[in-house]
Amino acid sequence: MPCNQPTQALLKKRLQQEVLLRQTAHPDVDCDVVLRYGGFVGSVIDSHDTLTRAMDHARTHISTVESESGSVKNGTVILADTMSRSKGRFTRAWHAPAGGVWGCLVHANTLLDSSKRFVPLAVGVACCEAVKSVGGDAATLRWVNDVLFGEKKVAGFLVEGFFGPNYGEEYHLVGFGINVNNHTFPPELASIATSLAVELGRELNLTDFTTIFLAKLVWNFGLLYYEESRELAGEVFSGDKGTHLLLDNWRKLSDSVGQRVTFGFDVMTAPQYEATVIGVEPDGGLKMRFDDGSIKVEHSGEIRYL
Amino acid sequence: MSNEIDFDQILSKYKSDPYGYVDVCAVHTGRVQFKVVNGDEAHAPSGEWQHIPGTSLYEINRERNPKMITSQTSGTVMDIRSELDGQFVEAGEKLMTIRHPLKKKEIIEGILKDVLYLFPAPETAKYFFGLDIQSRIDKKGARSVTIENGDEIITMSLMKRDTPVYYTGEGGVIHSVYFKPGVSVRQGEPLIGVCSPEKLQLIQKIITKVKADWDSE
Repeated sequence: MPCNQPTQALLKKRLQQEVLLRQTAHPDVDCDVVLRYGGFVGSVIDSHDTLTRAMDHARTHISTVESESGSVKNGTVILADTMSRSKGRFTRAWHAPAGGVWGCLVHANTLLDSSKRFVPLAVGVACCEAVKSVGGDAATLRWVNDVLFGEKKVAGFLVEGFFGPNYGEEYHLVGFGINVNNHTFPPELASIATSLAVELGRELNLTDFTTIFLAKLVWNFGLLYYEESRELAGEVFSGDKGTHLLLDNWRKLSDSVGQRVTFGFDVMTAPQYEATVIGVEPDGGLKMRFDDGSIKVEHSGEIRYL
Repeated sequence: MSNEIDFDQILSKYKSDPYGYVDVCAVHTGRVQFKVVNGDEAHAPSGEWQHIPGTSLYEINRERNPKMITSQTSGTVMDIRSELDGQFVEAGEKLMTIRHPLKKKEIIEGILKDVLYLFPAPETAKYFFGLDIQSRIDKKGARSVTIENGDEIITMSLMKRDTPVYYTGEGGVIHSVYFKPGVSVRQGEPLIGVCSPEKLQLIQKIITKVKADWDSE
């Protein structure tokens, strides 16, 4: 019996609180519509004791359903209490013992290119908001979507595209790893990783936290569709001065602007250059200034604060 | 992909006019103000990370949002549409041309692009080979790696979203790789050039011929 077992009933209850929170924060936004757009998140919640890797499980699930002429439920969430072969980007290890929130959201992509580039931001914002809502006020976002306490990472995300083998439908497999009640890390991660339990000094109910995280995902994925519909209707975005509201919220949660950073496509093994972050472009690109005053905008890669 | 190539005709074409002509078009609708005139020298982005912008060509202003557009190519400005200076133009309107002197390597690439099947970048993003293809390239070299229509060959990385890219086109060997890991490729630019294995010899002949017949670098 899995420990982390959110249900649709719990999610529905949490969303009733979520709409009130959002209406207070964004009185000019039709929050019911946003939450309806994102309502697909958690259409199925599939909890496991253990998996090798949630992303692999999702791929197998999609292939199996499609091979039986079925249709994969958009918004399916796959969770596992532990994962034995989890990994980060490139070939990096990700430690997934009991106590964390490990899983994957299956998003059948119906977004335009200009919106789908924000999917990685949406999951980062959702997690950072969830962390803050349980008392982690010091949590920040590092471009693109690492959630940090100081310089230590509490959560990381992977978004991988996958095309269904039968129908060619494009899915985003949104992988998430959030250190919640796990206290110890392998030596190579000990100096750069932390958990909510360590930061808050208390353990959290894993199911409750995951439910909050899913509710935040509902809102933030809903925003992608809501803002896209406004743009298609010729209206301005809902954020300050007509900016995309998701990006607006990301900027408020992030401390990347103003930081001296090392940038690299794979910054751990191949750092490319040092620069100062001076902003984030309307399309999410990271704007950096070199010491000679010239400016570069990057849309893909990673940073580490210096 | 063409099998018949008249080398002499191609080479004489390049010898009589050893330039590439790059049209500069309006990036979106707006009011344009030119920053160059005919005959000006334009410079491409420079610096180790290509972070120093090229020569300013024109400013385009839409809804009080001015944007300076800089040259992506080195060469001489020509055919500038000076009648459009200060006017509102549509997206894609041609504004000027930059005449770019071709180097030997560029001529070879230009000819190869006529004989290879070029697989384009689906979005402006960074690209890297899939692990399987990369290990095959590392072991044997790209020209020993055969790919078929529908193969998952490359991963596109944009805003930390990694998407597999499936090859669509004639099967063959990867002759040319036009992307570098960590460097952005614009949408529509070629990622790889593919040819059938039996064409490899023909292509080598082209390269040898250009190298032998072309004096300058």
